[in-house]
Amino acid sequence: MEKRGRGGRVTPSQTPQQTPATPRRDRRASMFEKEAFAQILRERLRESIHDVQYVEPPFDDSIADIGKEWKSALAKLKFANSYRMQPLRKFQANSVESKVQQILKECLKDVKYDDKVFSHLSLELADRILLVVKEFGFHRYKFIVKVLFIQKTGQAINVASRWIWDVAWDSWVAVKHETESFVALALVFALYCE
Amino acid sequence: MEEYHRHCDEVGFSVDEVHNIVKECVDGVLGGEDYNHNKINQWTASIVEQSLTHLVKLGKAYKYIVTCAVVQRSAYGFHTASSCFWDTTSDGTCTVRWENRTMNCIVNVFAVAIVL
Repeated sequence: MEKRGRGGRVTPSQTPQQTPATPRRDRRASMFEKEAFAQILRERLRESIHDVQYVEPPFDDSIADIGKEWKSALAKLKFANSYRMQPLRKFQANSVESKVQQILKECLKDVKYDDKVFSHLSLELADRILLVVKEFGFHRYKFIVKVLFIQKTGQAINVASRWIWDVAWDSWVAVKHETESFVALALVFALYCE
Repeated sequence: MEEYHRHCDEVGFSVDEVHNIVKECVDGVLGGEDYNHNKINQWTASIVEQSLTHLVKLGKAYKYIVTCAVVQRSAYGFHTASSCFWDTTSDGTCTVRWENRTMNCIVNVFAVAIVL
């Protein structure tokens, strides 16, 4: 079958070297497809790089083991059932929002955008907001605070969040503070720990 | 009274799986694309939703929060910080920073354990 194909493709103008190339390419179609796919993928992602940064819950393996031992020991201990189906006080988003707005205003009143200052300031602000939210006294809640500072230079930014949690008791707050040179965004998520 | 035996959180929070999932989602949505103001909403929404569905498929008893910020690439300053109050033995976070010629993307995943 292939020989016939080869014979059929020989045209007087073509050099003899070209004719074996084309039917060979047809024969290896499947391998070529795999290569093509990988190449296309490499081409698409050629100009993109990615980087992963994370904080693992324990800094050291030994600490992690201790925690797990404690946890499994705890599982064997039987605690009396508290019969509590819901938090004592539900997370109130509006009061937290007004308090966080106040903090942002105070801290960022006359601050101009500056690289070094802001890297410390963002951490400090995140810790401060966390303390304040804890002071509210919502028991058995876990909190996550995220602070973003974006310099205003005419570029666009889009921030999106999605979550999977218990809609009845978990909630979130977003506070924005805008100045001439930058925008500050603070997100607070509250999750009830059953 | 039935006793519910909880199998322990399968080695806690596994960062490697999560960052693979997130990286694949971002590559799939933004790979080879240039910044486009009309589509940016759609992109951020789909990155976050896809990551979330894949995370849920892991089948662990966790609550997840996924945040994604996509910024057009230019000369600008950007700082982000997060502070968390949770159980450090079972909860964790993972941040994936992805960039190409025209945009930067930062995806943050927070996982909080559900104590059954």
